[in-house]
Amino acid sequence: MIEVRNVTHRFESAGRASLPVLNDVSLSVADGKFVSLLGPSGCGKTTLLRIIDGLVQPTHGQILIDGTVVNKPGLDRAMVFQEFNLLPWRTAQHNVEFALGLHGVRGAERRDRAIEALQRVGLEEFAGFYPHQLSGGMKQRVGLARALSTNPRYLLMDEPFGALDPLVREFMQIDLLKLLDAERRTIVFVTHSVDEAVFLSDRVIIFRAHPGSILEALDIDLPPRRFENDEAIKASPAFVNYRNTIWHLLKEQLRRPA
Amino acid sequence: MEADALTLPDPPDVPSIVPFWIKHRTAITRTIAVTVFLFGWEAAVRWGGVSPLFLSSPSAVVLRLIKVFANGSIWPSVAATANVAAWGAALSIVVGVPVGILMGRSMLFRDTLEPFIMAMASAPIVAFLPLLIIWLGIGATSKIALVFIGSVFVIIVNTETGVRQIDYRLIETARSFTASEFDILTQIVAPGALPFMVAGVRLAIARVLIMVVVAEFYAATVGIGYLIFQAGSQYDTTLVFVGVVILAGTGVFANAALRALERRIAPWMHTDTTR
Repeated sequence: MIEVRNVTHRFESAGRASLPVLNDVSLSVADGKFVSLLGPSGCGKTTLLRIIDGLVQPTHGQILIDGTVVNKPGLDRAMVFQEFNLLPWRTAQHNVEFALGLHGVRGAERRDRAIEALQRVGLEEFAGFYPHQLSGGMKQRVGLARALSTNPRYLLMDEPFGALDPLVREFMQIDLLKLLDAERRTIVFVTHSVDEAVFLSDRVIIFRAHPGSILEALDIDLPPRRFENDEAIKASPAFVNYRNTIWHLLKEQLRRPA
Repeated sequence: MEADALTLPDPPDVPSIVPFWIKHRTAITRTIAVTVFLFGWEAAVRWGGVSPLFLSSPSAVVLRLIKVFANGSIWPSVAATANVAAWGAALSIVVGVPVGILMGRSMLFRDTLEPFIMAMASAPIVAFLPLLIIWLGIGATSKIALVFIGSVFVIIVNTETGVRQIDYRLIETARSFTASEFDILTQIVAPGALPFMVAGVRLAIARVLIMVVVAEFYAATVGIGYLIFQAGSQYDTTLVFVGVVILAGTGVFANAALRALERRIAPWMHTDTTR
């Protein structure tokens, strides 16, 4: 279980007033759940994800994983980035092996686990390709394979499909759900797409901006294995209702003078 | 015969391939330019009344070049110059790359060393030669020192640039996967900056050649620079050109080899196959 306890964060810049990014955010993510952090730009959702990963130290408050304070990246978490962040001088396979190598996996085991991770995202045929030879969707599959290869308990995804075109994005959402159906993991997923958040999540946490804080948390009670009938789900009254509720909350928020 | 009416006429004769002279346009114009230049030069010496004491001819240079290599008389000069150049270049790389990485990674080092490095990178380094001879004598050591000072700063500046242009997000990604500072240095910084280091070495090669020749002009008993200087003082302009051709050939070859290496180690920087 991930617990975010009273996290406040400010960006400090020399000689200027510090910029508040997150204000007293508390939430928890139960094991096996898919939780989305949703909100407008500037609501600090990406910063919160980086704090959970341990890349950023919050100004106040703390992150606990199973009761232990997080202060640096750990083997139990892996991140998927919006801009993929693949190493351009490594092939798809060696990009995956990069993460495994940092976790101390060596030799044949490292190679086998990299290939196996690429198989899980349907990219084994492209193992020898360099990032510049892959499409955006393929690059993010490599990013996903890299994160999965280390078998993390928590997958932290920072707008992973934000840089992809809409069609690819929908395929990636469906494939992600398929993947998670086969191997249950805990996901914290940052997005600013309402539909994406509702379709993927067990729980959506809606943020307000300037500074970021929680507006509302909404449990999404849609049937499991949503990838099997995604079109029907997205047209269902329950889905439409969740979407409208969230849109309403976000619009109310934006209408208020800043 | 009705079928004939349905048969479409043959498409007009369109050349399916690009014509030879368009495909190889650059190669052709370059060959013409060089040929015209060499021919004009040869003609000026042969029929234009230019004295061989002032200017040798391309044919004489080629014949002499073959001769000095065939009878082996050039090897001591080549060996001496190659020795100085190789040691100087190797020292520049061994010192320049770590200093460049340090300056690229540490703001403290960069801010402290920047003015000094910039001054040295743009200073006429050959002016240090008299001092180096006073300190190190007229043997190979002072020449190696001159080559080193003349080329190390280019490598430092290029390495620093290479380290600084590395996408910060890649370093952060490595951190996220629990990389140590050492992992980041060896697995992100070094491969990320490598193409810039090779480019730095490529730029340094030209300076290496200049420094070694100047050093051999000034104080030497052997070497290509010494050979050129001696030949000049004896009005043997053919031998002067032999030395120049050897140096220029070395420079062109090293440049091409390092360019090929750059493309090989950084295919993503030299590509148009992006989808």
